[in-house]
Amino acid sequence: MNKTVVNNQVLLPKKKKKLWKTLWDQKYLLLMSVPMLLYVLLFNYYPMWGWRYAFQNLDLNTLKKGADWIGFENFVWLFGREDFLMSIRNTLAMSLINLVLGTTTSILLAILLNEVRTRAFKRTVQTVTYLPHFLSMVIVVGMAQNMFISNGVVNTLLLKLGLIDEPLFFLGEGKYFWGLVGVINVWKEVGWNSIIYISTMTSIDPTLYEAASIDGAGRFKRILHVTLPGIKSTFVVLLIMNIGHLMEAGFELQYLLGNPQVYDYSRTIDVFVMEYGISNGKFGRAIAAGMFKSLVAIFLLFGANFIAKKLDEDTLI
Amino acid sequence: MRKLIATLLALVMVLSVASFAMADEEPIVVTVFRGDPGDQPTSDNKIYKLIEEEFGITFEIEFLAGDLDETLGTKLIGEDYPDLFDGGNSAEKLINAGALINLLDYISEEKTPNLYNHIKDIKDDIVDAEGNLYIIPNYGITYNAQIQNACNGPAFFLQKQVLEWAGYPQVKTLNEYFDLIEKFIAANPVDENGNPYEGFAILCEGWRHFCLINPVQHLMGQPNEGEVFINRETAEVETFINKDYAKPYYKKLNEMFNKGLINKDTFVMNYDQYIAKLSSGTVLGMFDQTWDFGPATDALNAAKMYKNTYIALPLVYDESYGFGVISEQYLNGAVPNKDRGFGISVNCEYPERMINLFENLLSDKWQKILQWGIEGEDYSVVDGRMVMTREQYEQRSDASWKMANMATAIWESAPKKQGTQDDGNAWAPADQGEIYFELMNDYDKAFLAAYGYKKPADFFNAPCELAPWGEAWQIDKAPINDDYNDFLLIQDQELPKIIMSADDAEFEANWTAFVDRIAPSAAIHDEFMQAEVNKLIGK
Amino acid sequence: MTAMTVKKKRGQKRDIVFPFVNGLILCILMFVTLYPVLNTVAISFNDGTDAVRGGIGLWPRVFSTEAYKSLLTDEQIYNAFFISVARTVITTVLNVVLTSMLAFALSRKEYVLRGFITLVMVLTMYVNAGLIPNYLLISKTLKLSKTFWVYIIPTMFSCFNMIVIRTYINGLPEALAESARIDGANDLRIFWQIIFPLCTPVLATVALFVAVGSWNQWFDTQLYNGSKKNLYTLQYLLKMKLATSMQSMNAANTSADALVNSTKSTPITIRCAITVVSAAPILVVYPFLQRYFVTGMVLGGVKG
Repeated sequence: MNKTVVNNQVLLPKKKKKLWKTLWDQKYLLLMSVPMLLYVLLFNYYPMWGWRYAFQNLDLNTLKKGADWIGFENFVWLFGREDFLMSIRNTLAMSLINLVLGTTTSILLAILLNEVRTRAFKRTVQTVTYLPHFLSMVIVVGMAQNMFISNGVVNTLLLKLGLIDEPLFFLGEGKYFWGLVGVINVWKEVGWNSIIYISTMTSIDPTLYEAASIDGAGRFKRILHVTLPGIKSTFVVLLIMNIGHLMEAGFELQYLLGNPQVYDYSRTIDVFVMEYGISNGKFGRAIAAGMFKSLVAIFLLFGANFIAKKLDEDTLI
Repeated sequence: MRKLIATLLALVMVLSVASFAMADEEPIVVTVFRGDPGDQPTSDNKIYKLIEEEFGITFEIEFLAGDLDETLGTKLIGEDYPDLFDGGNSAEKLINAGALINLLDYISEEKTPNLYNHIKDIKDDIVDAEGNLYIIPNYGITYNAQIQNACNGPAFFLQKQVLEWAGYPQVKTLNEYFDLIEKFIAANPVDENGNPYEGFAILCEGWRHFCLINPVQHLMGQPNEGEVFINRETAEVETFINKDYAKPYYKKLNEMFNKGLINKDTFVMNYDQYIAKLSSGTVLGMFDQTWDFGPATDALNAAKMYKNTYIALPLVYDESYGFGVISEQYLNGAVPNKDRGFGISVNCEYPERMINLFENLLSDKWQKILQWGIEGEDYSVVDGRMVMTREQYEQRSDASWKMANMATAIWESAPKKQGTQDDGNAWAPADQGEIYFELMNDYDKAFLAAYGYKKPADFFNAPCELAPWGEAWQIDKAPINDDYNDFLLIQDQELPKIIMSADDAEFEANWTAFVDRIAPSAAIHDEFMQAEVNKLIGK
Repeated sequence: MTAMTVKKKRGQKRDIVFPFVNGLILCILMFVTLYPVLNTVAISFNDGTDAVRGGIGLWPRVFSTEAYKSLLTDEQIYNAFFISVARTVITTVLNVVLTSMLAFALSRKEYVLRGFITLVMVLTMYVNAGLIPNYLLISKTLKLSKTFWVYIIPTMFSCFNMIVIRTYINGLPEALAESARIDGANDLRIFWQIIFPLCTPVLATVALFVAVGSWNQWFDTQLYNGSKKNLYTLQYLLKMKLATSMQSMNAANTSADALVNSTKSTPITIRCAITVVSAAPILVVYPFLQRYFVTGMVLGGVKG
């Protein structure tokens, strides 16, 4: 105890001096980062006083008069609703499916494209596959619904192949919903999500491929030992980031594709908050749900980051 | 010192009064918010030009682009009010937040006779509890006779060819309706292209689920009150969906489902798919409101598939259901659109001029300009009757023509005259008999002639007098939002299950489960609606 | 000798099979992803009233340019297009430069504030104060509403992109910066003259993300500039057109209107035409960016 105090007293001035010197040495790095720090403090952190609304009965009527403090009432209400808990389950399930399916398919596409030697073909495929990203969700969902109704393409195909005897009620039974969301998301975003991996692959040193070839590595060995390690840090960083985003499963897709018959599986937190918070002007409730999501996200983020650190991988923070 | 201040104050007052008087002539730019989406008028729009010439007023209009409540919320919290503020379907929020001025301070028989007479008869119905009026209803104030050429609201609909095939019978009850559909399909399982007919479709998507949950009240002989049945004598309110008189309707649908006349896709299809289905001409019937499937009617007309277009029928339960003889009452009197339209915001610097503008626009001269256009250009007068050619009428639905030739954005939210003019012409061109019949195709004319009718509305009894509570569906359910959401969701989830029951035992079980599940939220709904109706009739 | 030939042959054979299978898979994928796009284009060129009947495949059934006409004949559209281009270009340039500068600073392991700033930045992706406080900050505190700058100033930084660039910089060989430092270059120069050009592929990617985000943005117009006609962006104007056409469809059309069967654009065709109109400029710009991230010549060149 005494010892440390003594040590601190001895060390502090020295450390301080050193810090100032380091800061002076790093003045250009400071110049490059501190303005942006101030920027996010103003635009992202200053408005956070809005979180106090989570503890108030803020709605359109109390907006001007000033809302009352109601403690944890908003949270109690939310967690007292069975369907809110269900929406948490649905959110996590769908975002996990999206994460796994989305990541694997976009990496797979990037690898396949990376193996294409004809430049024109490569570019064409790349351009075509990212196009659906620009379609509005309404259009995509409309098409998907037409494909999955009783006499749609999918059922017709399954019937013809003899896999089913009767059309499946894809849109009206909850058990199919998560799968549908996964498929639609991949369809719409696989090309767009692969862009980042494709651009990362360009940073792989071409001599590594040559060296691997000389060592007698076949195509799959080269992919395994050169391409995949080359995108590993991007993959890990994106994975950590996305794990933090597990509470965001999307809103529009579920809102448009869902119907009362499948609500027990289709309602995400955002859809729930829309129906019981925002559309009724119950902002306090919506902010409470948002705050809950943020806290869980931060928890997940640190967890993932911690595990990555333990595994000696690249980390986010 | 005090004297000096007093003098100064007096001076300021004199000056401001002077400038106010002068401002009447000065050109001003009025900021406007509309709680609905819309197109910006062109800069040389001919009607706005007239308004500018006569009143020295030009408008800077903002239309709703995103979510209404969100937009109003930010405007209210930022106190960013336009001069003319239309809060769309959430205008109560503007009133509650104190964003609007009380219009009654400015309306008097001497100064503003048009406005005074406009609201004279309905004043008690549209003022709030303190006797203040913030918004003059944008629709529903009828002059002289109300005009009804066709049913524009709820009804059971049937393809005209079904009636033609059966020799134009009168179809007045639920049983007759479904019997006819069944017989028609038995005789004609497919259409001329080989596509199978579907007997009855039920749209269940989002807020349009009234197609699923509203019919029972009409079968019991009531106009559209939304989700409640109201005794006209005693003003007793009750939720009808869980009552014994609702059960037979869903039993009937269950029968039709098991006979294959209702497809289960109907419970999951969205609006676009519903419209696509109706437009293909293979759906024989549905319960809906005329305006709700307008695009399908347009598509069928455009494809000249007139026999596949729909006729509205006012069905009721027949005596066999044990509810006695029910007389249909689908059509209701005109409803003043309370709290919908322009209010003048507290930020507006020239409220008197705004009131004056509305006063003048309500004159016969300006009402004709706003509703019909310019005589000789947009319509003509033949023997005292105002008429339009087909081209003149059609261009009114062309968006880019409207942007240049109609003052839609202002007209829609301003007070207006509806019904009949003093000389017998209709205030709205669409209501004018000559125009309506000029537009009708030959198939429809022959169809009506076969029944000996002049217009589609002849299938219906005349509109009844509007109840003192208006139409109960207009009541804002925000105070019971959570329970109301549950109430609706339970219906959305359970009613399709009930209709899809495989046999009678399952039907009974599903129905009982539904009645049990909805009981708590229905009780809250009942109590709330009763209290609101009581308020409206001043009990 | 014989063994070697056999091996070589087998190797060659494999090299024929793989590209073929790969090409086939990619072709199927192209078909699957191209179909909805072509379908959208086909519907956008179809007659609106006819399109509500559904069932349109890859070619319009009743050809019509009504939907485009109703979008593009508005006199405001040129101004809106210009505003959109201006905001996209300015935002993209500023955002890419500032974000990559920060990414560089935070990639330096020796930087003392690295951990702290990274944490502060990363958390911005997960915490959101909600609409109202943000609105009050921008419109009341900073008085940015009803100005063009509301499109630029709040969108100058994106943490996701910063992380992406930082990860890329981390992957670059340390020796490059090191040798420059020995030559006496300061951090600013190292960033601007060495790292920045090396990052072209990732910067092109990030620029694409930012540009698409900025181009597609309409919410800020609604929130802050809804009453300023001359500051409308293209996306806002298009969204307005769609909302209007849906409105007029839902509005209580009088019975006589149902009898009028003029050709009209309907929400279905307008929505598709909007997709085409708003995606087209991105499609035009895309190949120029694509050059940088499909072919990885930059790095190889430097190293060689």
